[in-house]
Amino acid sequence: MIDMIEKEDPIISEEEAAQYDRQIRLWGLDAQKRLRGSRVLLAGLGGLGAEVAKNLILAGVKGLTLLDHEQVSEESCRAQFLVPVTAQGQNRAQASLERAQNLNPMVEVHADSTRVEDKPDDFFLQFDAVCLTGCSRDLMVRVDQLCSQRNIKVFCGDVYGYYGYMFSNLGKEHNYVEEKPKLVKPTENSNDGPEAKKAKVDPNETTMVKKTASFCALKEALEVDWTTEKAKAAMKRTPVDYFLLHVLLKFRTDKGRDPDPQSFAEDSQLLKQIRDDVLEALAVSSDLLSDDFTSYCFSEMSPVCAVVGGVLGQEVVKALSQRDPPHRNFFFFDGRKGNGVVDYFGPN
Amino acid sequence: MVQLVGPLRKELADSLSTCKVLVVGAGGIGCELLKNLVLTGFKNIEVIDLDTIDVSNLNRQFLFQKKHVGKSKAQVAKESALQFCPTANITAYHDSIMNPDYNVEFFRQFVLVMNALDNRAARNHVNRMCLAADIPLIESGTAGYLGQVTVIKKGMTECYECQPKPTQKTFPGCTIRNTPSEPIHCIVWAKYLFNQLFGEEDADQEVSPDTADPEAAWNPEDATARATASEKDGDVKRVSTKEWARSTGYDPVKLFNKLFKDDIMYLLTMDKLWKKRKAPTPLDWLQLENTACPQDEAPGSGLKDQQVLSVWGLCQMFQHSVETLRSQLQEKGEGAELVWDKDDPPAMDFVTSAANLRMHIFSMNMKSRFDVKSMAGNIIPAIATTNAVIAGLIVLEGLKILSGEIESCRTIFLNKCPNLRKKLLVPCILDPPSANCYVCVSKPEVTVKLNVHKTMVLSLQDRILKERFGMVAPDVQIEDGKGTILISSEEGETDANNNKFLSDFGIRNGSRLQVDDFLQDYTLLVNVLHTEELERDVEFEVVGEAPDKAPPPQTNQEEVNSITNGNKDSAQPSTSSKGQQKRRTYCYKRLKTKTFSRVGILIWTEPGVYSMSYCNQGACL
Repeated sequence: MIDMIEKEDPIISEEEAAQYDRQIRLWGLDAQKRLRGSRVLLAGLGGLGAEVAKNLILAGVKGLTLLDHEQVSEESCRAQFLVPVTAQGQNRAQASLERAQNLNPMVEVHADSTRVEDKPDDFFLQFDAVCLTGCSRDLMVRVDQLCSQRNIKVFCGDVYGYYGYMFSNLGKEHNYVEEKPKLVKPTENSNDGPEAKKAKVDPNETTMVKKTASFCALKEALEVDWTTEKAKAAMKRTPVDYFLLHVLLKFRTDKGRDPDPQSFAEDSQLLKQIRDDVLEALAVSSDLLSDDFTSYCFSEMSPVCAVVGGVLGQEVVKALSQRDPPHRNFFFFDGRKGNGVVDYFGPN
Repeated sequence: MVQLVGPLRKELADSLSTCKVLVVGAGGIGCELLKNLVLTGFKNIEVIDLDTIDVSNLNRQFLFQKKHVGKSKAQVAKESALQFCPTANITAYHDSIMNPDYNVEFFRQFVLVMNALDNRAARNHVNRMCLAADIPLIESGTAGYLGQVTVIKKGMTECYECQPKPTQKTFPGCTIRNTPSEPIHCIVWAKYLFNQLFGEEDADQEVSPDTADPEAAWNPEDATARATASEKDGDVKRVSTKEWARSTGYDPVKLFNKLFKDDIMYLLTMDKLWKKRKAPTPLDWLQLENTACPQDEAPGSGLKDQQVLSVWGLCQMFQHSVETLRSQLQEKGEGAELVWDKDDPPAMDFVTSAANLRMHIFSMNMKSRFDVKSMAGNIIPAIATTNAVIAGLIVLEGLKILSGEIESCRTIFLNKCPNLRKKLLVPCILDPPSANCYVCVSKPEVTVKLNVHKTMVLSLQDRILKERFGMVAPDVQIEDGKGTILISSEEGETDANNNKFLSDFGIRNGSRLQVDDFLQDYTLLVNVLHTEELERDVEFEVVGEAPDKAPPPQTNQEEVNSITNGNKDSAQPSTSSKGQQKRRTYCYKRLKTKTFSRVGILIWTEPGVYSMSYCNQGACL
């Protein structure tokens, strides 16, 4: 766990210092050490999963477990870059292992081919953070609940065609530091030069300010009541992506898979149907989501995986290093518009 | 009925497999971009990069592994990307994009060009090539957590040079040589010193006390007296620094005493300088040696490089690095010159120690090697995730262009935190070309203020036309009715003109020069405005631009501070960089109402400190 940093070797080796130089210059040595003591579980090695795996391995976590029961299909070779084109029929996690490990030999990368659903509760306890991609709504809710109880950081994310999202639950009390410029009084003896400019803020001096953020469970985030006056008023500033997510999660639950380009006609029909049902059930306007969306949410678009995977990866890094304000609690990306928004859903 | 191939509509997927695209740069953004292009279904990709792989690249340039260190980035990137799709057709060039082989014909092969660069000179050049070839260009940049992407299309959008980008500010010579007040001044001095001693000597990189400092305000008679007095001491004014050092056999202690004792004592005689400033205190080698304490070097738990050394520790570092550099010079033989490289340990040690000793002399808090390296080496902190996001956005913009939807393209800013509208990614409508642009209007013209009697032809070529106006191989004709050729881009043709002054060719106030860069298919008319009144250390001014052209802040009066970094115009780290200045400004979008709205990001100031500013280095736009 992160708090055991002191027991870990505080020395950064020369190899690490050389390799991580450019990121240590950004987030500092302490953050790098915390990363180096963290273990992460990543479920789902599709397009998004591969991006997250790459980002975390390059960042220098202690260990990353790749968990995926799926087999490599012809499509998966095109969808992600960790699986060799010759690996068809193999387990996706296993097939991704070699390239993943080669990204950074200093990280312990493991592959696990069991289903997430079949893992006992205490399996998750060995990790500092858990990241779920390609999982059903119920599974995510269950894992989120069990992990956040034990102070394990939880992240979820998916990409559907041009759309993608990320959710995080860092617990009721996530502590972190933020670097702020130190305010120096003009009369103080500023030793940065005999005639340093009369800066009120000495740009060389920064100070770490401690802060706390509170997160809610995924269940609460997804079960917002839209019938209240407050919710209705907030509707104008609410990204429609939130509702799109409900539609796509329902599709996944009902069909056991995501929309498939091979069955475009039926699936887009079904998507429209589900949209109608979901919006009605949530008691929100049916024209929030026009028919348009259906042709743009098939398969995982590589550049969208890169964007969402980049944001999600960085959130994991922030949470583990306990540095910088985390996004709270959803990030939605619309690849057609280039919009990326952060918004909070859940009880206030 | 809509047909899909994977996530894409069929027509788009089909065009991806036939079109040809160019990626300029195979570094942080380049690696991510290549991966995205291949996975998205682009089949014909060319990538160019002049650089080789360094271990510090491995935290983000994921197509490279430790075993590839030293190899060509473009080549290894190609090999790694091919693994994702062995049937893709990727061509790699280990070369500079500014090589004349890559002419307008070359660019015309592509339906799209994507920049993944880290320096302004190359960006300017590719901008012009894409304008000349009329090919859409996707421009991008990152620094730390921030980044942006934009699209450039001739006639439709602003080109890269439509908005003036603040040029690097240079520190006045007397600040560097006489009255440093900030660590950065000492670091610049130390880099100059390296060149004077071991590298290419440059008249603009003097390190000895500046006797012509106007602040010293000596009487003319006094000045002569002092000049004579200094000559008697065998001052560097008579003998070059390098010659003097050679005469002592590069003896570190002699060097030390000259630079950190004698020269400082000389500065002290210029008493007017110290009336309002704290005077420097000279150091003495023997004294320092005798009073050194072994406990001074207490090891911490941080990186070794992040410790600030004791003065004696720095003396030793100075001594060792001089000795090592001296051997390096000897090995290279007669007339050898070293090039400063932040990744060459003795070169870095030399600058660290020399700069810190000077900081100590001038009562400044000293800096760790880690921090000195950042400043001296113009290092921009970088991580994988920012590059991943930006590269993803580049491909998405590219797909819009290929779908014939270029009007839906946007400039997109990546912020560190969501803005007031909850946006982490902020798309903005593209601006139309600027009517004042000296690159993309139909008949570009500028007015340059300079002294025709003091500006040499070579300066015009190198400082003004190449450095300032981004040309690679300028040809200059004087509009004097005779079409006199002042500068020819053909090697050697006009060398005889180099050291002559502009006035020698009849150029005077109001003269016009027609400047062509045939490679960039670019013609610029330069109006000459003669003046005898330029600020000290300023060689020329472009009329119509304030020295620091950043739009004024809309609201607050926050102090501005940011570092502008060295110029990465050449493949080598720039030691002729004019210096660095701390200045923080905000990145603005000019609204139709001619007010400015702060949009977001940037760039980078110094390690661990963020604020918004234009990146003067051109590393991130």
